[in-house]
Parts: sequence; structure tokens; C-alpha cells
Amino acid sequence: MRRYVLRRVASTAVTLLFVSLLVFVVVRVLPGDPALVMLGIEASPQAVAALRESLGLNRPVPVQYIQWVGRAARGDLGRSIQYDVPVAGLVLSRLSVTLPLTLMAAGFMVLAAVPLGVFAATYHRRWGDYVTMTLSQLGIAVPGFWAGLLLILLFSVKLGWFQAGGFDGWGQGVGGAFKSLLLPAVALGLFQFAVLARTTRSALLEVLREEYVKTARAKGVAERGVLFRHALRNAMIPILTVAGLQLGQLMAGSIILESVFYLPGLGRLALGAISARDLPVVQGVVLFVATVIVTINAAVDVLYGVLDPRIRYE
Amino acid sequence: MTLLRDFASTLLALLLAAAPAAAQGALTVQVSTEPPGLDLTTNPSSAIAGVVFYNVQEGLVKVDKHGKLVPWLAERWYTTDSKNYTFFLRQGVRFHNGRELRAADVKFALDRAVNPETKHPYRVQYENIQDVIVKDDYTISVTLKRVEANFLWTVARQGSVIYPREALDTLKTQPIGTGPFTVADWVRGDRIVLVKNKDYWQKGLPRLDKVTYRFIPDPNSALAALKSGDIDVSAFGLGPENVDDLKKDGQFQVILGDTTNDVTLSMNNSKKPYSDKRVRLAITHAIDKEEVLKGAMFGYGKILGSNVDPLNPYYVDVSKREPYDPAKAKKLLADAGYPNGFEATFKVAPQYYYTVRSAEIIVNQLAKVGIRAKIQQVEWGQWLAQVFCLKPCENPDYDMSIIGHAEAWDIGNFANPKYYFRWDNADFQKLFKESEVTVDDRKRREQYVRMQQMLADEAPAVWLYMHPRLVVTKKGVSGIWKDLPIPSLDLSEVGWQK
Repeated sequence: MRRYVLRRVASTAVTLLFVSLLVFVVVRVLPGDPALVMLGIEASPQAVAALRESLGLNRPVPVQYIQWVGRAARGDLGRSIQYDVPVAGLVLSRLSVTLPLTLMAAGFMVLAAVPLGVFAATYHRRWGDYVTMTLSQLGIAVPGFWAGLLLILLFSVKLGWFQAGGFDGWGQGVGGAFKSLLLPAVALGLFQFAVLARTTRSALLEVLREEYVKTARAKGVAERGVLFRHALRNAMIPILTVAGLQLGQLMAGSIILESVFYLPGLGRLALGAISARDLPVVQGVVLFVATVIVTINAAVDVLYGVLDPRIRYE
Repeated sequence: MTLLRDFASTLLALLLAAAPAAAQGALTVQVSTEPPGLDLTTNPSSAIAGVVFYNVQEGLVKVDKHGKLVPWLAERWYTTDSKNYTFFLRQGVRFHNGRELRAADVKFALDRAVNPETKHPYRVQYENIQDVIVKDDYTISVTLKRVEANFLWTVARQGSVIYPREALDTLKTQPIGTGPFTVADWVRGDRIVLVKNKDYWQKGLPRLDKVTYRFIPDPNSALAALKSGDIDVSAFGLGPENVDDLKKDGQFQVILGDTTNDVTLSMNNSKKPYSDKRVRLAITHAIDKEEVLKGAMFGYGKILGSNVDPLNPYYVDVSKREPYDPAKAKKLLADAGYPNGFEATFKVAPQYYYTVRSAEIIVNQLAKVGIRAKIQQVEWGQWLAQVFCLKPCENPDYDMSIIGHAEAWDIGNFANPKYYFRWDNADFQKLFKESEVTVDDRKRREQYVRMQQMLADEAPAVWLYMHPRLVVTKKGVSGIWKDLPIPSLDLSEVGWQK
């Protein structure tokens, strides 16, 4: 198991190095001069040239890359051009919105999807199955931003139960913070919930057809035991794979919902930084999110090993 | 199970807890763009001015809500020759750090603007300053190299705000000035909070204790926030499509006013066929501006009558010189050697919705005279690089484009052959130069009228319409400027009606 984990860690490190190179190159290829975008249409060429110089944009690109990676490895992601504050601090402060948002969406996704998927599988081709699958079809068909707007219309504009957006920070108390993130979390998790419910259902149905399930039933194991102890555990591999991928997608998907609910999260930070050509911030956020996703994938791989001993001995 | 039920009911109670009623001394304002820093002296962005200008920092002279220059930190001034100015400062005005404003602060700010090392974005406007001399603590004189008719405007601009020299390092993040509000908090990406300056030199102002600027870029979200009561004012966010609906809603008031923002169709005058005056005139005659305003702006805004904004005192309507006349447009095209028209591309930036909407309508109008135009949407950064063409760009890469020119007194752009219009006309340049040193108002007006006529006859660019000022507030908010003669959101007199 240790060798398996070590192998995974090593390959993660290599992936991250590639990711950093890709991020750096892509950001450099983006057309549009950050100095120009920052100063706007009424600036003089002298002001633009001076700003380029002070931002270090005149140095050779490989030199810029090596300096950046070296510092990033030490946790220094540079300084935001736009805000004139350290990028790492910005990312961390935004994480206090995006992380709970993603976790709440993931919580909603898993807690709603897995039981519903199990429910649908046990009621295979009966009413429960059809109702669940219709619901999840709806979840797949409705785009997150639209679901968000509908939720705002109903719960904020009509009923007045929730604010239409914004996040006043954790200083307002856990209840308030939780409340401001609830609608966006549901809108964000809706699509992934629908996908996961379907995945759970089909994975479980597949396992329920296996011989050993028949054996368990023949031995007289109670149906609940068959379902949860024997079938679900083996169905967990595909469910876990999908859920792991979805966690990354939730984080990426937060960009859109943070705009709809005007939450000061990582996604909006990235979006604003892209249009302002705040290169250090774009690089920092993309690198951070990529690192998180690569790490989640590695963790999922390790979990496979825990769930299924055959995998770790390969 | 009881535990679970308790938890659920506590959660529900938390979730349904009524939102606290808005304090009467507090105002939440939505703006669509977060300012890129808060330093008015290094960045010309109007998003910065919307927060800082007149609210946090002020200048010697102010442009009031009618577009008039009024004494501000300078209580009066005199000049006999428009070359030597003496300003007398108001006494007892204090910066937010408690120190009194003195003439030395004014000298510091002006000297810094003139100094090329500072990289002041408007340095060109201060180049004419030769000397700034402190006479005493409250008197300062400015000597110019040559007569300048618009010098008081320069002193009134956002780049001319006065700040204490000891607070220079924090101009970008925590600017200090003499204004009615101080910057209390800036949560990057979310909000900026201003609080009342209790020692403001204008007694009784400001009326509000606290102002929160919320950055909400998406117009749909801004509308939802307004309707759900999360924000009190939407300052620069909603499109004209919402106006009719909001006007009918008794909860809100809609403020529609004038601005200095001229939405202009630019042509690349350095490129064929736009280098031919007949082609430019043909394009001008082919455009039905009425239809553009109706289609793109739901009729809100004003059709312009020249290349100067209607808030300018020298504005005249010269539109009769180039009426909508497709037949004439076709004839002009034939004369220029394009009887069958030509292909053209509009490069527009969807970041400003009105540019795309206007282009869509104009493309159809041009098709009627044989010009086959298509629209290419480019991201704002690319637009600046390709169309607006600042360095390292050498030659602008576009045929036609549309953008709002928001600066007041910007007719000088046409006198600059390097400006992205690339229009090079010696007569116009000479006339503009003369107007810059003409102090006599009647004479200067004549020059401005002549310039506007020239621009109509030469058609280097097509003026379309003035972008309206569109502010929506909750009922009960008063004191917001109707017109916008200068990019600012002056909140000093804004408050809730009792």
C-alpha cells in the first residue's frame, strides 16, 4: 500500500509541474497587454510603457517562468497587479467563500444523490425509479446559472427568505454565512447531484445482478444487509470516481454561480483577473485550483486501494 | 431523534431569521465594475472616480451637478491673463488624518502631476504648468507656460485631487482626502465601505453615515438584488430594457439624465476605403440614428447633434449637414468607385452591451446601401490592443467600431492624428490649437462651432447617441445627480427622505 501511495504522490508532482507550465504559457499567449487594460483608453503610451517595466513584463519569458515556479513552491504567488496585495492572501481570503460553497454543494450532491440512487435501484422499473429518474433528468437539463436565477426569484424576490446574493463574511456568524451560501450551493450542486444519482443507480443495478449477491440472498442475509454491506460497497468504485471528478467540477462551476450570486469567491477572482489581465492572479488561481483537483484525483486513487485490495497490488 | 429535530428547528430558525431592516443612515449602492485600485492620480478609470471622486477626495475646483465650475477647496481665485492664477484656499479644511489642508499640499499634488517620474496618466494636461508658488499657508499661485483656456477644467479633473503628502503610499489602497466620507473597508471582489467624515468642512453633510458599494457585474443579478431589497441604488448596472418595468413599480424611482458619454462609430481613416471622405460621408448618410437609439437603447438617451456632448456649453446641433439619406449614400459610394459597395467588419467589445446592439442595427442599415458589414466581437483587452491601438501596436487593426467616449472636453482627440481614428487634418488641428489659447468666450464659441461643422463635413467618425445616465433607487432616496457632467457618483448630499 505504501508503494502504491508513493507512486501516486510522485505522479501527482509530475502532473503539477506540467500544469504549472501550461498555466504559464496559456496566460502568456492571451492577447491583450495587462498594462494597457489596467490604464484604459485615456492613458498615454509613456504611462503604459512605464507600467510594463515596473510589472516585469519586459523580462524574457523563461526567466519569468522559473522565477514564478520557484516562488510558487514557497507559497509566494506574486503580487496582484490590480489590487497591489499578495496573490496568496487573495486566494486564501476567497477560499473562505469558495471552499464552504463547494463543500456545501458536494454535501447536497452526495447526501441527496446516493440515497436517491439506491432508492431508484431498489425500485427498478417501478414508480420510485421513474420519479427519481425524471427528477434527475430535470437536474441535468437545467443549467446552474438559470437554476440560480429561478431560486433567487422564488426565495429572494417573491418570498424574501434569503438575500439575492452577496456574502458578508464569517464575521456575521455561522448561521448568516450558511444562509447566504445555501441557495448558490443548491444551484451549483443540482447538475452534479443529478449525474451522481444516475451513476449510483446504474452502478448498484450492475452489482445487484452479480452472482455473489444471489448467494448472499440465498444464504438468507436480510435485504438491507445485501444492499448496504454487499452491493453498495462494491458499487462505490464507480460512484467514487464520478464523485471525485465532480468535486473538481463543482469548484470550476462556482465561477458562474459566484457571478450570479455575486459572491466574492475564487471563481469571480479569476474572472475579474482575466478581464483585467491581472496575470499573477490568473496564474495563481488556476494553479491553485489545478493543484486541488489533481490532489483530489490522487486521493480518490488512494481510496480505490482502500476499497478494493486488488487495485493496490497491481 | 430529538437531537436531530432540535438541530433542524434551530437551522430553520437561523435560515428564516428576518433580515435586519436597512438603517436610515446607510445606503448600499450597486456598481458593475470593481475599481482597479483607488488612486485617482495614477489611473484614469471611471470606476475609481465613482467611488473616490467627491466622496473621499476633492479638488480646488468642482464640477457641479449642472456641469458648472464652482469654488471648492479654493474658495476663490483670480487671473487677469489666463496665464497666472492665484487660488485662495478655504481655511479650516481638514484631511481625514486630522491635519489641516495647506497651500503646500496643493503644491505637492500639482508638482507631482507635472513630474514625469510620477507617471501621472493625465500628465499631458499639466505640462503647461511652469511654476507653482506657495504665497502663504492659504494662498498659492500657478504660472503657466502659455495661455490656456481650459486650465480651470484641468484643476477640476479627477487627477487633480488634493491629498496629504504623508499618505502618498496608501493612495491605491486607502486614499485619504478632505471628502465627506472615509474609506473604512475594502473587501476585494465584494465591496467597499465608506463611512461619514464627522469633521467634513461642509456643515450638515454628508447626510449618510455609511455607504456600501457592492460590485455586481451581472445585470440580472443586479436587478434581483434591487427587487429583493439587498441594494438601495443601482448606479451603473441595469440596461435600458428594464426601465419601463421599473418605472411602473411603485417601490422604485428611475433617474434618467444626460452624460458626457458620446457613443461614436469610429472608422479607420488610415485605411481604404475609409480614407476617402465620400465613403465616410456615405456611411454617415446611411445610418438612421433614430432607429439605432430605439433598437439598441429602447429609445433612452439622446441622438447627438455633433461630435461634442450636449452638456458642453459650446455644443451645437449640426446634424442638418448630414441627414439620414440612403439615396445620397449610394450616390456617394458610386462616386467614390464603389457602386456595388464593399465588405467591412465591425470590431466591438461585448463588455459594453450597447456596442454590439448598435452594430447589429447599423449592419442592416449599411446593407441597404450595399455595404456588406459583419460583426466581430472581441474581448475588451483585445479591443484595446487592436482597435484602440496603444503601444506596442503601430497601426490600428480595424475597419469600423463603436464605443462610448465618456471624457468631457474631448474634441481634441480629432486633432490628434495618432488617435485611433487616424484622422489627420491640418486645418482642424490648427483650429483646435487656436481654441486652446483663446480666452474670449465668444470667440472660443465660434471656434467650437466651426470645429463641429468641420467634423460634420469631413465625417472622420459618426456620432450616434448620448448614452443615458440610468440610475434606479428605492423610493425615498434623494440627492442623486440627474445628469453626469463628470464621471463621479457624488453621494455627499444623498440621503433618505424622512
